[in-house]
Amino acid sequence: MTNTPTPRIQRKPSGRLARREALTFYLLISPWLLGLLLFVLGPITASLGFSFTRWDMLTPPEPVGLRNYARMVEDRLFWQSLSVTVRYTLMYVPSELIGGLLLALLMNQVSVRGIRAIRTIYYMPSVLSGVAFVVVWMWLFHPEAGLINGALATFGIRGPRWLADPNTALTALWLMSLWGLGRTAVIYLAGLRGIPRELYEAAAMDGADAVRAFRHVTLPMLTPTIFFNLVLSIIATFQTFTSAFVATNGGPLDATLFFVLYLYRKAFQDFQMGYASALAWVLFLIILGLTLLVVRSGQWWVYYEGEQP
Amino acid sequence: MKKTTPLLLLLVFGLLAGVFGGCTAQEGGLVATVVVTATPTARPEGAKTVLRVGTGDSGEGLTPHFKIIEMFEAANPDIQVQLEPVGSGDYYARILTQIAAGDPPDLLQIGDDAVPMFVDKGAFLPLDDFIASEQYPLDTSIYLPGVMEPGKWNGVQYLLPKDFSPLAIYYNKKLFDAAGAPYPQEGWTWDDLLATAQQLTLTDASGNVTQWGIQLPGPWTTGFEYWVAAAGGSLVSEDGASFVGYMDSPAVQRAVQFYADLYHKYKVAPPPADMNAFGGGNSEFDSGKAAMRLFGRWPQASMKQNPNIDLGVAPLPAGAVRAGVLFWGGFGISSLSENPEAAWRFLRFYTGAEGAEVWKDWALPTVKSVADSSGLSSDPIEGVWLNELNHLAPRAYVFTPYWGQTADPALRRVLESVILDPNANVAELLATAAQEAQAALADVQQ
Repeated sequence: MTNTPTPRIQRKPSGRLARREALTFYLLISPWLLGLLLFVLGPITASLGFSFTRWDMLTPPEPVGLRNYARMVEDRLFWQSLSVTVRYTLMYVPSELIGGLLLALLMNQVSVRGIRAIRTIYYMPSVLSGVAFVVVWMWLFHPEAGLINGALATFGIRGPRWLADPNTALTALWLMSLWGLGRTAVIYLAGLRGIPRELYEAAAMDGADAVRAFRHVTLPMLTPTIFFNLVLSIIATFQTFTSAFVATNGGPLDATLFFVLYLYRKAFQDFQMGYASALAWVLFLIILGLTLLVVRSGQWWVYYEGEQP
Repeated sequence: MKKTTPLLLLLVFGLLAGVFGGCTAQEGGLVATVVVTATPTARPEGAKTVLRVGTGDSGEGLTPHFKIIEMFEAANPDIQVQLEPVGSGDYYARILTQIAAGDPPDLLQIGDDAVPMFVDKGAFLPLDDFIASEQYPLDTSIYLPGVMEPGKWNGVQYLLPKDFSPLAIYYNKKLFDAAGAPYPQEGWTWDDLLATAQQLTLTDASGNVTQWGIQLPGPWTTGFEYWVAAAGGSLVSEDGASFVGYMDSPAVQRAVQFYADLYHKYKVAPPPADMNAFGGGNSEFDSGKAAMRLFGRWPQASMKQNPNIDLGVAPLPAGAVRAGVLFWGGFGISSLSENPEAAWRFLRFYTGAEGAEVWKDWALPTVKSVADSSGLSSDPIEGVWLNELNHLAPRAYVFTPYWGQTADPALRRVLESVILDPNANVAELLATAAQEAQAALADVQQ
């Protein structure tokens, strides 16, 4: 090490160059910046404003202070929609995380013939249009003519009335959504592929069987992926809309009245845009709170190679 | 969080498309200008007035619109008409944001129960002066009875009719003939309906129903208004202020009880396959497993082609009174239109005798002379639909612009409850619903 590296001289770019660089920077970023300002930040700020008004979209908004927020406390359907959404989240998120992982483990069996085709098949539902997907499932769930009850009948089981029964409608929507597990599984698959082979070899040399290798190598190495899926999953389930909008319209007896469906109704069927805006902000705060909670909890269970982020 | 925020923002943004009113209006203006200059028909620039027409129709349903527009433009070279169709589900959301942005189409299509809300908030121009105008008058006596009413608010005409459908009873002659049952005739009653349905409900040896008497539209509230009207009841006071004393009245109780009994006590109606908007999901009539079906005229064309069905249409049975209800779509002129004169000229063509000549191939025509000359009035099936116009009872929405957001959901819950629960207490459910609706009304009007 005879020749020490010559210290680099930090030259300040000349005024002209700096300006030019800045100009290029703003030029390149402007589409995103404009989009953000015009189509995202503006409307969001405005919706906060509207949430303190009564507005039917046909006549000018009229300020009502905190009334929209106060109204929610006594609004039976607000609580119902919140309860439906929370129950659905509690059903869906764990099943997505676990089911997606199991599916990914199966899809990770490189030795199986035709594994690529299988992966494609499992991912396919994720690229279908939401409405078409739901309509097909409505036929599967048809109490008399549907395939599901038809299959149950061959075992002598009288199937439930699924979407027409308030006790089973939410479960039916949950089963329907599990069809989209492929998307989560693909993310897991990427995570599985990122686990270095040496770790498994080392574990095997230490005498670990498949179960222990999974428990002590796969799972810890996968925690960042699980974390990512958990956050996305919570946010997505809180925004569930299409399946209930198409298949049940929130019924029967409000058993599938999701929060966002209620919000949509208030805005575009009941002409209560002020109240709907307030609902949107409450939803935002709920999701924000939950996400922060999950992110905070990450330090206890998410393992990052290298340092904590 | 970085990943997640855009999703949320998108959601909020969806709600707030109307916020950038000024912005959108300018863009809309620009688009309109471009269209004028880029129009392929080589007429001098600026000579044409461009009219925009908003409709919730889509797909095949747009064909009659285009036909009429073509006819109109040929006869009126100074006006160019642009149709702006929006997929049915999002139509109101779209025009609401367009109105909030100050840039709605000149003519807007609206369904019956949305008329009071839009008119009450000043979205439409009153048409009475146009109708009486010297240069372009409209003879309103050309219309069939009852089809102008849904376009009125407080006695003033705001919209003109595009198409409509009453309710009636479809029946399958094959199943009637097999059972030796006589076809239903004008003048039949709820008792006759029940007796017919019972005769046509068949069960196998183990008691399973193999054929149903009548397929009903589940918890579909607007369809249910027929039963209320026929029972001699009404759901709201005429001043639109009271649901209590109306929704829970004995006549409405009788209507709900009879409807529920058709499902549970007499078991002549198949339980709904789902509880969606039209209480749809049932396909028993289409598959030849239900002898009758109560519904509007919308699926008639496909029923006529269905090999399981030899189709007949019967008038609605009378309860305490002979009554029916109307479903309706119409057009009005936006109060923000910059060319109300030109819009009127098109509107009177669109919804007048010329337009009706085209509509008649797609829906029931609104103009009497068209219905007569095309033979529809004397047709054994279409004549039944047209005759229902003589028995219309006003629907609840005509008495209050708040029907849809206050009492309708409450009534829906009652219907869902009685269909799901054979032991439901009708009087109690209706009393609760009426109070809920009343409270919701007070809240909205506050």
